[in-house]
Amino acid sequence: MRRLRPRSALLVLGAFWLATLALAPLWGSHASLFHDLLRGEPTATTIFWQLRLPRVLLALLAGGGLAVSGLGFQTLFRNSLAEPYTLGIASGAALGAVLALRAQEAAELLGLPLVSVASFAGALGATALVVGLGARGRRAGGDETSTLLLAGIAVSLSCSALILFLQYMSDSTQTFRMVRWMMGGLSVVGYREVIWLLPWVAGGSLFLLALRWDLNLLLTGEELAASRGVDLGRLRLRVLLATSVMIGTLVAMVGPIGFVGLMVPHMLRRFVGHDHLILGPACLLGGGAFLALCDAAARTVMAPAELPVGVLTALLGGPFFLWLLVVRRKV
Amino acid sequence: MNDSPLLAAHGLAWAAGGRPILGPLDLEVRAGECLMVVGPNGAGKTTLLRLLTALLRPTAGTISYRGRPYTTLARRELARHVAYVPQVRPASVPLAVEEVVLLGRYPYLSAFQLAPSARDFAAVDEAMARVGIEELRRRPLDELSGGERQAVYVAGALAQEAELLVLDEPTTHLDARHQREVATLLLRLKADSGRTVVAATHDLNLASLLGDRLLALRAGRATACGSPAEILRSEVLEPLFGTGFEIVRAGERPVTLLQLGP
Repeated sequence: MRRLRPRSALLVLGAFWLATLALAPLWGSHASLFHDLLRGEPTATTIFWQLRLPRVLLALLAGGGLAVSGLGFQTLFRNSLAEPYTLGIASGAALGAVLALRAQEAAELLGLPLVSVASFAGALGATALVVGLGARGRRAGGDETSTLLLAGIAVSLSCSALILFLQYMSDSTQTFRMVRWMMGGLSVVGYREVIWLLPWVAGGSLFLLALRWDLNLLLTGEELAASRGVDLGRLRLRVLLATSVMIGTLVAMVGPIGFVGLMVPHMLRRFVGHDHLILGPACLLGGGAFLALCDAAARTVMAPAELPVGVLTALLGGPFFLWLLVVRRKV
Repeated sequence: MNDSPLLAAHGLAWAAGGRPILGPLDLEVRAGECLMVVGPNGAGKTTLLRLLTALLRPTAGTISYRGRPYTTLARRELARHVAYVPQVRPASVPLAVEEVVLLGRYPYLSAFQLAPSARDFAAVDEAMARVGIEELRRRPLDELSGGERQAVYVAGALAQEAELLVLDEPTTHLDARHQREVATLLLRLKADSGRTVVAATHDLNLASLLGDRLLALRAGRATACGSPAEILRSEVLEPLFGTGFEIVRAGERPVTLLQLGP
């Protein structure tokens, strides 16, 4: 496939993002929402401003953050299957949330639900564990990148096992809440989650964008990158910290939504190439629009019931993963 | 030209897990010269190059660039003086030729710079012209032949505008024609650009063709160092490699023939 010129590709994505922001809130049950909104009908106004718009904004932010984090991981580990979910960060967050649901669901900390705080702590804890194991591997003379990757997989599997154990030990109401939380969802009322997420996603993305030369150089190999002045250890730490803070807040707000970080960077590379200066913003825009559209679809396919958006992305992600394994070569 | 060496290593040694791999050895590289490092597999050639490019930290001894110890030079600063073309590279690099060469400018780029400067693009154009790959500019690296790829990485190192170029096995895995292309390229660079080159190679004839001096390494120790005529002698080569050689002369320079068969 011919690549678009990078700038025009970004413009197209930007326009797509804006179109999603404008149209996705109108899509769904309550077919006459647009007309009612124009007439100033109070129910329509509430639905639009308090339910639909914050939900779409949250999806745009969360999807963008997920895609940018996935991109950072794939370049860092030179592995097309790396993303926050294959590397234990999201599993750590899920374990934190499940522990909180088991202990005291309704409790709050710092004005936030305990579940959110615990999942954020879980994400950071998992990252610290993975980074610690990676550093230990390096001291033992191993290849740090593959040690990190393996440590991530090990942490991910351990967290999943502990989650299963906790689910088994809980009563059926708790277990249902845990399972439901782990499907991820964007049902929010008002803008609290959006406001919480905005600085982290914006800050994390800008931080990764500032590392674009390092990430581009990493595509040509670790040895060459190091010889030109990239401090590999510091770069790994920076990318891991930026992504885990982003993913931690994200999972705390919307639950674990898998595969966005895997699918979006891969799809976009085909159109805009591999330069992180373009690919980074493209992921932020494309990931957001992708998740917002997935969520709009999840709201409507089974209407009036709602499909959790994490279920939909997982349904899309499985076949995509297989396609990647069978058809596409590495990175 | 300054009399003091460009690069000086004293008592340089590197050990992995207490097992000595290289040294101790002393080495001086003068500005403008081409030093070829030869020796059998496992002699420590790549280790030496990795020490000279600060990819490894010596376990003993010091290295200095123009009298400044490596320990006082930040990585990016050193990268403006010493460029490396490693032998082992990713099988697939999803970038265009121009993008790869531009990454040679990394030591000069700042995180807050939105685009590379005109100065960076000029260095990239000059490097590509010098290596003769301008017409490949927009081609994806993965579509090129091994020799062309090697030329692209050399161009990247030239764009780095470092005085010292360190090459690891520049002709390994290349067929005869591509070996010749790379050798011609390196000869031309040596003649036109006045850059200092340190390269490791298994190809003794390439070493003879390019090298002002040859350094013979065996089991981490320097067994001999001198002009091609001094090193490419059976008295030096046979103990170095543990096999027989026949040396013939092609004009001025010695050419080695490996004795094969019973």
